[in-house]
Amino acid sequence: MAETPLADVFVEMADTLIDDFDVIEFLHVLTERCVELLGVSAAGLLLTDQRDTLQVVAASSERTRLLELFQLQTDQGPCLDCFHTGQPVSVADLTLTTARWPRFTAAAAEVGFAAVHALPMRLRSEVIGALNLFDVQPGAIDGDKLRIGQALADVATIGLLQHRAIHQRDILTEQLQTALNSRVLIEQAKGILAERLQVDVGQAFAILRDSARSRNRRLSELSQAIVDGSEQLAPGPVANRSG
Amino acid sequence: MDRNNPGRGDPMTADRRRRLWAVVVDAARGGAVAVDHVCAAAVSVAGVDSGAVAVILDATPRELVCATDRTALELEDLTLTLGEGPCVDATTGGPVLVGDLTVPECRNRWPVFAPAAVLAGTGAVFALPLRVGGIRLGVLDLYRACAGDLGAEQLADALVLADTACAVLLDDATRHGADRDDQWPERTGLHHPEVHQATGMITVQLGVPAAVALIRLRAYAYSQDRRLRDVAADVVARRLGLGPAGTADDRHG
Repeated sequence: MAETPLADVFVEMADTLIDDFDVIEFLHVLTERCVELLGVSAAGLLLTDQRDTLQVVAASSERTRLLELFQLQTDQGPCLDCFHTGQPVSVADLTLTTARWPRFTAAAAEVGFAAVHALPMRLRSEVIGALNLFDVQPGAIDGDKLRIGQALADVATIGLLQHRAIHQRDILTEQLQTALNSRVLIEQAKGILAERLQVDVGQAFAILRDSARSRNRRLSELSQAIVDGSEQLAPGPVANRSG
Repeated sequence: MDRNNPGRGDPMTADRRRRLWAVVVDAARGGAVAVDHVCAAAVSVAGVDSGAVAVILDATPRELVCATDRTALELEDLTLTLGEGPCVDATTGGPVLVGDLTVPECRNRWPVFAPAAVLAGTGAVFALPLRVGGIRLGVLDLYRACAGDLGAEQLADALVLADTACAVLLDDATRHGADRDDQWPERTGLHHPEVHQATGMITVQLGVPAAVALIRLRAYAYSQDRRLRDVAADVVARRLGLGPAGTADDRHG
């Protein structure tokens, strides 16, 4: 692994954190950087909804099948185990874990993944979520990469809690619940764009994100405006079928 | 048919939901479950003294739907009159959990509301938004005379009941009967992203606000005796569209 990209990523994250930023967008970028830096095939972030369940808030790719695989781990899988124990869970060969997580293993195999790793997002004694890494190649992840992965999970935790007084449970709850609700909001906006522009929801996410960036708007703010109907993204060339 | 079956998945979640739905049904005393019963259940499991649900409508900034006692009524009046307080902030943001209204941060944040609420005998306020993404339905407010934070379990219970309150507000009033304990409403959270994607698509298909689109989607799934997530998946895959008044517009062929 080259040194420069790693340093660049942490500079990028630090730059974001000192600014006014969108949590979901930040977590989304972080999962993309995980893929680049750690050489894995996909990364996702799951947060506790404080009702005993994990929810997917960001993923390196919005492919529906991949999101379903992350979502499945709200029921069973390494992420849930990692969340419950607060310890990393690493599975070098998923074909050996069929008995432990039958539905998860089958779903992962179907998407073509051979190995999976889950790293806890910890805030002192509390586990607030997990960073989930998938690889198409079987094999253990090396110690250095695991440490970088854990550092990225820690950065995600810090980003989520922003610069607020994180010792307070009320602030933690506010941030977690707001992040989860923002994700629902983004799904609604994706649906609106998908229908209006006659694209699939994955493409709709890309359009939404590009539009937010080019307008220098927060992803969740633009999504809210789209759901409210106060903002309509101008149809692009793909929109010629929309009414 | 497991539309109402929460048991698939993490057993802890299912246990919590089953236990809480029993409290809600109990509060309904054999009648149809309404948001008042969810509010009463929240007061009981969160270990607070009173509660209220305020709904945001297009026409009015805030409409009180229910309050469990005079204190809650008084505090809701205060919120409405002053236009500030945790219960106002929660309508636009995330949950606002205030374990002690007398601390300086509270007085700074809500200079009029905080002292007035303390004077009215309230030490702690917990305001939980009733929101589904961009759809703002209202807020569930819980009040306690004694100061002190909610415990993690009390918070988890209250958050589940806030979800339940959203579902009850979105669904037909007579639908969640208390005669059968398996009739708890489908959750409104992130669990199935396709539900929210489908809501967005129906918003455009019918030219209605997102809240109406979600109501239609839930009503359609219920009328067809299908799981919400399955109907939503059909909408997202463009196998199904919803026509006026929730009729199906089958897109095959």
